[in-house]
Amino acid sequence: MSKRAVLKWMKKLHTYAGLLTFTAFVVWGVIGVAGAFAPGPGNYQPPDISSVQDTPLTAPANLDDKALARYVFDNIYIPLRGGHYNIRRDESGNLAFYVFTASGRRDVTYLEDQGISRMEIRQNSIIGFLSTMHTAFSRRGPTTRAARLWGFYNEFAAWAFFFMTVSGIYLWLDTRPGMRWAQLIAASSLGFSVVLWLATR
Amino acid sequence: MFQLMRNIHLGIALTVIVMAMIFAASTIFFMYRAWLPDEVTETERSVQVAAGAAATPRELALELIRNHGLKGEVLGIAETDDGYTFRMFRPGTEHSVGYSRVTGAATIKSKQWQIGQTLMQLHTAHGFWHESITATLWSAFSLLTSFGLLLLGASGIYLWFVNRAERLVGGILLTVGLSYGLITLILTRLDS
Repeated sequence: MSKRAVLKWMKKLHTYAGLLTFTAFVVWGVIGVAGAFAPGPGNYQPPDISSVQDTPLTAPANLDDKALARYVFDNIYIPLRGGHYNIRRDESGNLAFYVFTASGRRDVTYLEDQGISRMEIRQNSIIGFLSTMHTAFSRRGPTTRAARLWGFYNEFAAWAFFFMTVSGIYLWLDTRPGMRWAQLIAASSLGFSVVLWLATR
Repeated sequence: MFQLMRNIHLGIALTVIVMAMIFAASTIFFMYRAWLPDEVTETERSVQVAAGAAATPRELALELIRNHGLKGEVLGIAETDDGYTFRMFRPGTEHSVGYSRVTGAATIKSKQWQIGQTLMQLHTAHGFWHESITATLWSAFSLLTSFGLLLLGASGIYLWFVNRAERLVGGILLTVGLSYGLITLILTRLDS
């Protein structure tokens, strides 16, 4: 393949990759900007309780708290859930724990004497939701079909992004290598990064 | 206008290229880390510190930085029965420090990650609440790159659109990508 043909196809693929993954690009950009202004450690406030769901559930009586929490976790429907955390007894002595999902935290309490699992839903904002979804990929955890399909897209977009950084450099060096201001920006960016890396290490 | 936009696209890309590569490489590491080397080197040591140099966690942190070769941002200070604990973090390295006022000893448990995990820590080092200037600069670089991604997307769309020869194929790809991405995101949100 001639150099001219390589350049032509590199331009095409660079453009096509960007167009196909534009949605992921926007999501990543928005999340990156929002993340910069997110509260620091210890200052995070969970969203208010938006709704409560009760599920009848009778657990075996011979489970310790950890096993009981696992049993409750396994037997109630929580879409897009991660793990269960902070297993404890609340003020009334009921077993309680948190479940994190793409759409926010779920506070689960097992009301043992009533045979009910109560889930307080703290639905997060769209930014919080997108922040979780921007980390999705094809093989990540149990999830819904739509989330899995997004995961495939997000994973493809990550490779496309990697390709675009490399092909972008190729296109610059092949078409306009002598452009002084571009060389200056590239050198400054690289120099700044190296100095920052050395200062960090 | 086309030439100006082309230069803007190139200028933004070159400004954020290093962080963009960190984002891309760390994302790929994150997705495939089960298959990639991801060892953590853990060490532990204990140092005696004069009571005057460890009256508070911050004083001890300063002592450890000046005289024991530690580096990093001080995080997660907590009191214990006979002293206190805190962490000192910088991308790639974390020290968990526990100090006992009874024995005057500081126990330092250190974790050293390899390059993949270090890049991931840079990827997620956002926010302007850091005390460390380097952490703040990484955050600023990360913010600049995120803005850059949005501007690259917008300028890229313009550059594609003015190229009439690519409008049909590009239009189909953009429509497919937008529809697929938005529909799966909306359905996921509705599912949960």
